[in-house]
Amino acid sequence: MSAAAEAHEHHGPPPIHYSSRINPAVLGIFLFIGSEIMLFGSFFTAYFFDRIVANPAQWPPLNEAGVPFERPWFLALINTLILVTSSFTIHWATVSCKKGNRAGLQAGMVLTFLLGLTFLLTQVIEYHRIGFNTNDTAFAATFFGLTGLHGCHVFIGLLILLVITIRAFRGHFSPSAHHGLEVGGIYWHFVDVMWIVVYVTVYVL
Amino acid sequence: MASKANHHPSAARQRFGSDWRAGRITAWLTTVDHKRVGLLYIWTTLGFFAVGGVLALLMRAQLATPNENFLTRGSYNQVLTIHGTTMIFLVIVPILAGFGNFLVPLMIGARDMAFPRLNALSYWLFLLGGIVLLSSFWAGHGAAQGGWTSYVPLSTLHMPGHGEDFWILGLHILSISSLVGAINFIVTIHNMRTSGMTWTRIPLFIWAILTYAWLLVIVLPTLSAGLTMMLLDRQWGTHFFDPVHGGSPILYQHVFWFFGHPEVYIMILPAMGIISEIIPVFARKPIFGYKAVAYSTVGIAFFSLLVWAHHMFSTGLPVGLDSFFMLSSMVIAVPTGVKIFNWLATLWRGNISFDTPMLWSLGFIGVFTLGGLSGIFLAAFPIDWQLTDTYFVVAHLHYVLFGGSMFAVFAGLYYWWPKMFGRLLDERLGKLHFALVLIGFNVTFLPQHFLGLLGMPRRVYTYRPGGIWEVYNVISTVGSFLMAVGMLVFVLNVVITARSGRRASNDPWLADTLEWYTTSPPPAWNFDRLPYISNARPLRDVRRRLEAERWK
Repeated sequence: MSAAAEAHEHHGPPPIHYSSRINPAVLGIFLFIGSEIMLFGSFFTAYFFDRIVANPAQWPPLNEAGVPFERPWFLALINTLILVTSSFTIHWATVSCKKGNRAGLQAGMVLTFLLGLTFLLTQVIEYHRIGFNTNDTAFAATFFGLTGLHGCHVFIGLLILLVITIRAFRGHFSPSAHHGLEVGGIYWHFVDVMWIVVYVTVYVL
Repeated sequence: MASKANHHPSAARQRFGSDWRAGRITAWLTTVDHKRVGLLYIWTTLGFFAVGGVLALLMRAQLATPNENFLTRGSYNQVLTIHGTTMIFLVIVPILAGFGNFLVPLMIGARDMAFPRLNALSYWLFLLGGIVLLSSFWAGHGAAQGGWTSYVPLSTLHMPGHGEDFWILGLHILSISSLVGAINFIVTIHNMRTSGMTWTRIPLFIWAILTYAWLLVIVLPTLSAGLTMMLLDRQWGTHFFDPVHGGSPILYQHVFWFFGHPEVYIMILPAMGIISEIIPVFARKPIFGYKAVAYSTVGIAFFSLLVWAHHMFSTGLPVGLDSFFMLSSMVIAVPTGVKIFNWLATLWRGNISFDTPMLWSLGFIGVFTLGGLSGIFLAAFPIDWQLTDTYFVVAHLHYVLFGGSMFAVFAGLYYWWPKMFGRLLDERLGKLHFALVLIGFNVTFLPQHFLGLLGMPRRVYTYRPGGIWEVYNVISTVGSFLMAVGMLVFVLNVVITARSGRRASNDPWLADTLEWYTTSPPPAWNFDRLPYISNARPLRDVRRRLEAERWK
């Protein structure tokens, strides 16, 4: 008699068994963020390789007037503060949601979205006025590579925030069911923390 | 035995089976069922395997005699690039994902993957990426010509036309597809195991797929980054890799090989997992040293992240670095040896039956071990300085990727075919297939070791007439066509089996893992019920219990 024969006394799948206490969506976003760290890590590798191993005479290199390219560290610092604040506002939104405070959730999400948008627009203006372009040496390539890669992540993050905000106004999310909010929030925190690393590397060091 | 579940209408059939049978083509196009996604993967990769195989035959035809004019210099470079890229990114990696898709939920007793729609997304991205990659041939100036490694500055400064851009875009899409699939595998294995299935009770194939997925999550983004920088250098005027403007071409090699070497283990670890499932079944013994095999998988994956620069010995790294990468590469031989000795110990005094899956597995052990040994040669940097970019490297990589991964894939196909389709592949044709491919494979690639030792460079479309090179090359070409005949036998086998193959019972091989507990092929909902898992061989427990009840 085959072992499988006894499997068919009744029909239909058995109840789902979860072998882990962490929610699948939350585990999934953490793994995705792991891969994102490797993606940023590769661009950081390029940055430090071109800066240290390739060892140019001058970093940042000189422009045509013989002056080093200027990195607008103060503007970027203000921008950093804006993005860090948005991490706190989305945390406020999540806490409000868990407490059942819908007004707090909605206000927190709107604030987070606006702060993120401000960051991105500031970065666009910064690019416009920075005085060097992508094809000006490997320094510019890695500068725009790192900040641009991060900018793409902010853009995607804004789309996610937009969806969450709309859902918050449509009455989605409750104190017991808010994974959609939480997963988006994890991504936004990642974008925020990664910016601090990018800022310190590209503008300060 | 034929399943009753397939003939009795039931509540489950009404709940889960409605879209399963609705409209044949529509059902396949819209499916999110892991078994169907897995089969789509497998059929698609077999199609790409045929494409890659034909490209290989074109190259062997060109190299059969010196100064042949079958392919031009440019088209030879295109063919070799697309052959390598296809076999790696469109055949071996995704067919292992296909096995994973079909088997992981069945082996761990789950209803489906954790994210079924992401699973479908990863398949359709894979198909799209494959089409984009192959459409490279129709770009102006032809397909990409830089080899599967596409080193800079060759690929940035010396490759006009958009073939290279298609190649980059195709790989970008494929890496997103693999990343999505990998995250899905990890979450499924973490979260969806049935009751009682602890980490040391999961099948060894699951350990392999888990490690494969982790490696993909860790290293694929590196490839994406490298390709993005290459694309920007080509099309946007940046200078990541341009030494004139402060960049570095060696940077590309570091980034590429940080991905590229773990990729080798991404391709071999699930293959080893397949072998670890098959050998105990046909030796009628439990695997020797379950934990050693499982943990050596993780060990190989860990060390694979520390060895990338052994592909770059000839770039003039400091001797200290060369030595580090030589030693770390050689260390990988230890966990690999653990596996090989465990397989041999499993065979030892086993009651071996030489069915086709077992033949492929035994072939795998022999051929892969040869490939592993030539790998240890190449890991020693003084030897690598001599042999790099010669046919010795070609022989080595085909022994591990074809003789390793593809042999295991065929072992897996013969082994799980009855579970996938409910019919057993024909044994006589299967053995003929195995014999032709085993002989053809060795006739093709064994002489390439000698060619490499004699200094014949790889990736060159012709060679000097006269001498022993001619003999080795013509032997190699004959072998490759012998393998092609073997593959035709496989196609014939599939066709005959589909029409009149022997119907399979639920558990035709008397195997011990959970996928054999359900019907062949399984219903949409996988299992009607599941036993509590109390060790790594749940079906043996069930079999013993039934046997005991029978004699009561």
